[in-house]
Amino acid sequence: MIAQTLDIVTTAAILYAVATGLLLVFGVMKIINFAHGGLMTLGGYAALITTQAGLNPWLAIPIAALFGAVAGMAIERLVVRPLYTRPLDAILATWGLSIIIGQLITILFGRGVHFAQSPLSGTLDVLGESYSAYRLALVGIAAALGIGLTALLQGTRLGLETRAVIMNEDLARGLGINSGLVRFATFTLGSALAGAAGALITPLSSVDPAMGVPWLVSAFMLVLVSGASLLSLLAACIVLGGAQVLVATHFSPVLGGLTIAVLAAIILRVRPQGFARD
Amino acid sequence: MTEARRLSLILLVALAALVAVAVGPFLLDTYSVNVLTRSLLYAAVALTVDLLWGFLGILTFGQSVFFACGAYAAGLVFTHMDFSGSNALVALGLGVGGALLTAAIVGWLAFWHGASALYASVITLVLPIVATQLLYSGGTFTGSSSGLSGFTSFDLSVEAWFWLAGSFLVVVTTLAFVFVKSDAGRLLVAIRENEQRCKYLGLDTSRLKIVVYLVCAVVAALAGYLYAGYAMVVAPELASFVFGTELVIWTALGGRGTLLGPVFGALIVDYESAQLSGSYPFVWQLIIGVVFVLVIVAFPRGLLPVVFDIPRRLLGWLRPRAARAAVTLSTLDLAETQGVEPGNGPALAVSGVAKRFGSLTVLDAIDFEARAGELVSLVGPNGAGKTTLMRCIADGAERSAGAIVVNGYDIGRKPPEACVALGVGRKFQMANVFETLTVAECLQIARARHARPSLWRRARDLPLPKAAMHVIATTGLDRQLATPAHLLSHGMKQALELSMVLALEPRVLLLDEPTAGLTKTERMQIGSILIDLTRKQGLCVLLVEHDLDFVREISSRVIVLHQGRIVLDGSVEDVVASELVKQVYAGSGHAGIAHETASPDRGSAEAVSSAKREMPV
Repeated sequence: MIAQTLDIVTTAAILYAVATGLLLVFGVMKIINFAHGGLMTLGGYAALITTQAGLNPWLAIPIAALFGAVAGMAIERLVVRPLYTRPLDAILATWGLSIIIGQLITILFGRGVHFAQSPLSGTLDVLGESYSAYRLALVGIAAALGIGLTALLQGTRLGLETRAVIMNEDLARGLGINSGLVRFATFTLGSALAGAAGALITPLSSVDPAMGVPWLVSAFMLVLVSGASLLSLLAACIVLGGAQVLVATHFSPVLGGLTIAVLAAIILRVRPQGFARD
Repeated sequence: MTEARRLSLILLVALAALVAVAVGPFLLDTYSVNVLTRSLLYAAVALTVDLLWGFLGILTFGQSVFFACGAYAAGLVFTHMDFSGSNALVALGLGVGGALLTAAIVGWLAFWHGASALYASVITLVLPIVATQLLYSGGTFTGSSSGLSGFTSFDLSVEAWFWLAGSFLVVVTTLAFVFVKSDAGRLLVAIRENEQRCKYLGLDTSRLKIVVYLVCAVVAALAGYLYAGYAMVVAPELASFVFGTELVIWTALGGRGTLLGPVFGALIVDYESAQLSGSYPFVWQLIIGVVFVLVIVAFPRGLLPVVFDIPRRLLGWLRPRAARAAVTLSTLDLAETQGVEPGNGPALAVSGVAKRFGSLTVLDAIDFEARAGELVSLVGPNGAGKTTLMRCIADGAERSAGAIVVNGYDIGRKPPEACVALGVGRKFQMANVFETLTVAECLQIARARHARPSLWRRARDLPLPKAAMHVIATTGLDRQLATPAHLLSHGMKQALELSMVLALEPRVLLLDEPTAGLTKTERMQIGSILIDLTRKQGLCVLLVEHDLDFVREISSRVIVLHQGRIVLDGSVEDVVASELVKQVYAGSGHAGIAHETASPDRGSAEAVSSAKREMPV
């Protein structure tokens, strides 16, 4: 019982960490960044390089974020900017970028599976249940991420302008907000978060050129049911992530892998706004 | 070019393609023939992606699943039941049936009334993920991750498979080509361009999408069936999201909405992948990725149109381009008009209609009736609920309470296309036409509900009801039949939309500010058309209008809406003489109005007089 509750909480935390970057980009730019999976893979390999170089594994997270941010800047300038008015094409172009990132990594590192060093090993005792320390740490990291982003959006001028662009871009531009810059900053931040998420999941899964794809699909579905709110994303992660854990343990892991996608599709059919309030 | 010549030209090209398929194995080495057989089948699936995405506007990631459905049906039957002639038929039936069933479920989920394009794409993305997981979990029955292999299949030579696959592709491509160039095929583009307008022209777009989706699923399943027969191996990758996106990539590279582009895109890329992936596996994928991104960003129409544009431009310099063969308009014989039989009672009866958005009430207790031959104007300031009322009459799902009876038939909760069938015609506030289609094509689509369009021919003449012809002749639209709608002036677009709506032969015509943004002359033209429609043709017209002088000239009755309620319903004279209307338009003293309608007392009289003083005009 306790183990299962911990499973649900930690799974939700991981999903939250993975999906925030995508949510941010979707909220501000109204486009789905299918390069999110590729950027996560990039982050995963950045973590691999960091730990192989003998640096502190914790350092892998900011370094992966940096890799993601730099790649994100280039992608926004070269590919995403011309596609603002063609959201379905943006999905395709960013998927193409995912292929490019995947193939470049394959050429550099080969197709093989690698393992990065975990920053935390061993277990902790929670209410008499010994549980993976790293998974527990992820809950703290995801919480810090959510709080940090909320503070950024609610407490700073850039956050205010970003929220203005989310609500009504034309009006925001009319009021003198440089929405191009807001979009650029958002995409960079979203890509940095994708890179960091890639590093965060390396201790849980292997590092390989296709590691981002399954996460991309889950993150994509979670973002679609959450709209543009960090809070409804949290709700979606807990409900759908929880359902995934329950189905995987009580029925079969294969069905568990389908849970998020299928449930999200059904939720959107019944309630198109998903977990968002209106 | 006559219709017969056009069709025989297509047939001639198809025959040439069949000849190319026939001689192919004699010119190519066995390895290439082997690889190309697969590419030919993939190309047929890419063709279905183009029909759905390039023509209908549904970006689909899931066509791979239908391919796998046909392939696995063959693989499963031949593995578990042995190969025989009858079993081959069973497998074919299972493959096609399975694909139809899956497509029906997906179609029901993805194309319901009101689903967004993104949602439909999401569903087609979930489909391959579900399908591959199911195949993985099938154990020895589906062969799990390694799939099924080693089953016996049709005893055909490599060349015969090539011929089979090639003929299949040529036949399917020819049929698709004839279809998309036909009158019925143009409906797909119309849905992609403006689905809302299609619904309000009485077309059941959801059903149309599902039908096309089902046909595409069957074609993909047949290709998959042939694939399993020839390759004698099936694997879960056939159903995967990755293969689904590869199909989209080939379609985008070749050129969406061109049919031939995706076919050649699939043939070239898949064939080259097989040739090059041996020596440069990752670099080849990288190149495809880079080219794909470049094409999406810089050449969204794909490479085929780019290739074709160069010689076309060169030719264009040499000789002037022939004007597009126009359609001849004619007046529909009165005996052939097919409007709904008028039921009993008034043309339009609205009773107790209310519309609420959460706690906000936009319309409340709306009651009125209108007879045939009446021109009722709805006036009131912005936000009074005029357009909302129009929406409630044209779409049964819109209102929160009350009943609307058109021609004696209750519209219930029916969608817009069903309301059109009852005799409602709605013209939108902003001219709402099919921007990329020509005037004649727009009008043809408006008639599609009455005259079922041909699946393979193009009609040369277009009979339109008298009312529509009248508008077209008065405004001079008949001289611009071959002009694409987006090149029309604002006034002409309004006239086009009006004639499209009239082509539906409505009994109740809803016009939302038809004269907004028009010049004085155009406005008077529309005014005399409306008078003619009501007095001579006996239509019931409901008109939303801000220009009170215009309203006074043409209306037989005026309803004043204010804050979601009817505050006055009377003759033109009543309304012109009313202090209330002036007050409503002056925009002051809301409280005063409430008082006056409830109980006129001294206080409200003061409010009225103060409002009069503040009137800007």
